[in-house]
Order: sequence, then structure tokens, then C-alpha cells
Amino acid sequence: MSLKIEKKERSIEELYRDDPERADAVVFGRKDGTTRRGFLGGAGLAAVGAAVGGSIPFSQNMPAGLIPAALAQDKPAAPAAPKGPAYLDFPGKDKGLVVIGEKPLVAETPEHLLNDDTTPTEKFFIRNNGQIPDEAKDTDRWAIKIDGEVNKPIEITLGELKKKYKPQTRRMVLECGGNGRSFYTPRASGNPWTNGGAGCAEWTGVSLSDLLKAAGVKPSGIYTAHYSSDIHLSGDTSKPTISRGVRIAKAMEPESMIVWAMNGKPLSNIHGGPVRLLIPGWPGSASQKWLTKVTIRDKEHDGQGMTGTSYRLAIKPMVPGDKADPKNFKILESMPVRAIITAPANGAKLAAGTRDVALRGASWAGDLTVQRVDVSIDYGQSWQPAKLEKPKNRFDWQRWTANVKLPSDGYFEIWSRATDSKGKMQPHVAANWNPSGYGGNPFHRIAVLVG
Amino acid sequence: MKHIPKPGWAAKAAHLALFLLLAFNPVTAPDRAAAQQQTFEPRIEEPEEFPDFPGREDTFYSCSACHNFSLVARQSMSRERWDGILNLMAERHGMAEVKGKDREAILDYLEKAFPQSDAPRGWQNPFLNR
Repeated sequence: MSLKIEKKERSIEELYRDDPERADAVVFGRKDGTTRRGFLGGAGLAAVGAAVGGSIPFSQNMPAGLIPAALAQDKPAAPAAPKGPAYLDFPGKDKGLVVIGEKPLVAETPEHLLNDDTTPTEKFFIRNNGQIPDEAKDTDRWAIKIDGEVNKPIEITLGELKKKYKPQTRRMVLECGGNGRSFYTPRASGNPWTNGGAGCAEWTGVSLSDLLKAAGVKPSGIYTAHYSSDIHLSGDTSKPTISRGVRIAKAMEPESMIVWAMNGKPLSNIHGGPVRLLIPGWPGSASQKWLTKVTIRDKEHDGQGMTGTSYRLAIKPMVPGDKADPKNFKILESMPVRAIITAPANGAKLAAGTRDVALRGASWAGDLTVQRVDVSIDYGQSWQPAKLEKPKNRFDWQRWTANVKLPSDGYFEIWSRATDSKGKMQPHVAANWNPSGYGGNPFHRIAVLVG
Repeated sequence: MKHIPKPGWAAKAAHLALFLLLAFNPVTAPDRAAAQQQTFEPRIEEPEEFPDFPGREDTFYSCSACHNFSLVARQSMSRERWDGILNLMAERHGMAEVKGKDREAILDYLEKAFPQSDAPRGWQNPFLNR
């Protein structure tokens, strides 16, 4: 076969790995109908016929999502459609991370890889908005400015910052604002996170408030605006990749930090090193990577990612799928409550006869704490409480454990549900649909097969 | 099997230059290890990978000038919502404003190829068709 065909086949395989049903539609014009049998459309059938050098008997019985064996060169005819995720291949990162966008690079951590008490850096999710910048060489000379509505604007290098202020370390959750987006129907736009746009690491740095107090925020200063050095995907250097901010009260909380170390090591470039903001409990986009400047503003910040429906929720509930009226939106601040099962992994096969299953998980609730976590093995018909740990410090996640007893061999789903300190519980489905899919926090579910 | 895009000669030369720089610069070992962490090459996409409807090439090249087209292909929206996305890209991300017939052609494609969908995603039964 020619090189061109070979290249095409690789593409087909990737296409199938990504989304088998769509791949069918793309490659053969097949649509998976009410039955699991797909069919080949006229033109599609001809195209496949041409590709395999003959007609395809029984084409109407070919299940959707299968690559015809003749196209899957040198491969067994078997279900050549490895369904599902593309895994990350990036130095220093776990190969189990799932790529949900390549440009910009975005990768999430499947729930079972969040089983460590502290999320190791190699397992931590990646979210970029722009190009990945070149790594800073002389990190101690990296400059950070504080300006705007302050009495004394500050410009300080990272080296000076480390010497001048007392470093603190806290274990805190960092969570993408769009975490849970993929659970919305109809589909919300943006990166299709499941629950893996979150992790909990040890962050070392200083409180942002130390600098804001030194600069002296004027009474007119009510909002922050964050800026960084990464370059917009278009290459336009005048355009911020993202520039979000928070109310000054949030910025003044001791846990809102400028951090330069993650899990005891210098903050790596891919996680925003040498220095980034860490605004825990609020959408991760407020935690500017590659931080260069915080401007204090006399009004709500209107930078990249602050307006329209970005990082916003509908005030008056809207019909799912409708066009949004931007006037009906308010900024998403504290992230909603969420619990995940981190062990066993979704898809685990347990030995025949297994009845007792030990569960482990994590839970967190934005600015709040988690009051309780419950688990169910019968689709929510009955629930039992999990043993819930206390956070090490504010914004730490809370690990939980539970032992469930299965009544028999077979297929079981295990669900988890958290309740925050104000009594709000996770819903069954992603609620309050909005076009960009923020606030999606339905129960986490895993499936296990016994025997 | 993973598709590894073959870098062109310019990229190879750049890699060689980087290698030489790292190999002969008196940098410390951790620095060198850290410098390796820069690399991520997005997969090279072709318009042919995506649903074949009129307007595919124009749409593909308009969008993939900045970001990967798979990002577009993962979305499902009504024409109205796609139209809003084009506005957002122009207003916020410096995309050249597309008007008139060209805009209609792109919207035709997006609407046909990636229509609003109620198909669930997110969690999937791991044992389905195992």
C-alpha cells in the first residue's frame, strides 16, 4: 500500500478511538440507529467498497463502531475500535492522564488516579489557554507587579519575594471551573471534563494579601485582574490568553496565594512555573499561571474570560440548548460540592464470590467543607454513610472510605454523593444548564463486574 | 498505535540546535531535565478526518489557525449557538470576522457536522461491548 493510504488508516484508527459513532458517520456515512446495528449509506458503502476492493456482503449487519477488517491493515479483525481516551505523552506526567485538547494542551486525571492523599505532580491535571511558554531560565529574577488602585505600586522579583515574606505551605484543591462539563445534555461547549479537572497538592508560597497590604489597596479597589506571560494561541502578543480576577475579599483571604512550589519542588513550567496564583475553591482560571501582574481595579474585571457566559451561571434558569442572554449571567465563584470514588477504578473486575468491597474517595466543596458523603450500590435506592476525614487546612480535600457489601456476583454500579457544610447535596444530573457548562456536579458513578 | 507526526526539517534543525545548546552549555543537570519538559507536539490534523459536508476545508482552516480542530469536533451546537461562537472568537480571540456567504458556508458546515445533541457523554459503561 502507498504511504498515503497508510497515513489515512492511522487517522481512521484515531478517529475510532476518539468517538466510534462519529467515526462511522465520518468514514462511512453510517448512522447508528435505534438498534445497535449500523448501516452503510449509499456513498459511504461505495467508498468502503472501493477501499477494500470489493463489495461488502452483509454490510447492514456490521455493528457500528467497528473498523472493517480490510481497512485495519495487519491487525486482527477483532474489535479494532479501542473505544475512548487518548492518553497523554508528556515528560514528567503520568501516562494515564487523558488528553481532552492538544492545542491548547488540556489533560484530565481519571478519578482512579486521584487515589493518593496528596495528588502527585505527575498526576495533576493540565489546563492551558494559550501556547505553552518557554521555560524561564533565571527564575529568581522573574518580576511580579502589583498596580492599579493601590497607594504604592510594587514590583518585586521572585527571589526577593521568597526572602522578604514568610513562606507557607498548604494542601489545597485546584479545580477547573468547567469540571463536570461533559455530564450536561445537550452538550455544553468547551473542554469535556468528567471529574478529572481537579487535584489536591501541597502549595508553597506567600499570601497574596501580604503584597496587597504592602501596596495598600485604596478603598476604590474592589476587584483583582490577573496577567501572565503566556502567548495567545493566535500568536498575537498584545492579547492576553486569559485574564480573570476575584473580588478583593477573596484575594485577601490568607489561602489566596502566590506560589512557587508544588509538592515540595519548584513549580514546573507546565503548571505555571516559576510562579502562579492559587485562588482555592474558585474556578482554576482565577489561579493565573506564569503570573506577571495583579492589577487592582475599581470595578469588576472585564478581561479575557470574565464576560459573556464564560465562568458564569444563569441567574434565571434557562431552557437547555437555548441561546443565552449574557445579561442573565453571574460570575461563578465558589465551586460546587463533589465527591469521587478513587478506588476501585471504574471498570474493575473483581473475583467471583467477592462480596466485601473497600471504597476510597475524595470530596471537596469550593469555599465550604464537606459535611457527609454517602454511597449506594443500588442506583440510589438506598445509601450508606462513608467515613469522612477532616481537611488538613482550609481548602484541603476530605478523603473518605466506606465498605460496601454486594449481594451477589454480577454487574454493580457504585455511586457517591457528597453534601456540603450548608446542606447542599450533589444532584443526580448536571443541573442548571448553561451554554458553557459550568457547575456540573452530578453523583460520581463507577461500574464493577464481579465474577 | 499512536500517530507520531514527523517534524519537518526546520523542526529537526531546531531540535538539533536545542540539543547542542543543552549539551554544551554549562547548565546543571536538573535544569537540563526541566528543559525537556517543554515539548508537546499536537497531532497534525487533516480536514479529511472530519465529517464530509460542503464547507469543510474553509471551516477547518479558519478554526485550526489557532487551535486544534478536534476541539471543534467535540462540540455539538445549534446554528444559533455556533453563530455565537464565531462572534466570541472574533471579539475575544482575534479571529478575522467572517461575513456574508463565507459565514453562512461555515455555519452550514458546523450545523451539519456537529449539530446540537442530546447524546450523553461523560460517564460510559466500561463493560459495554467488551
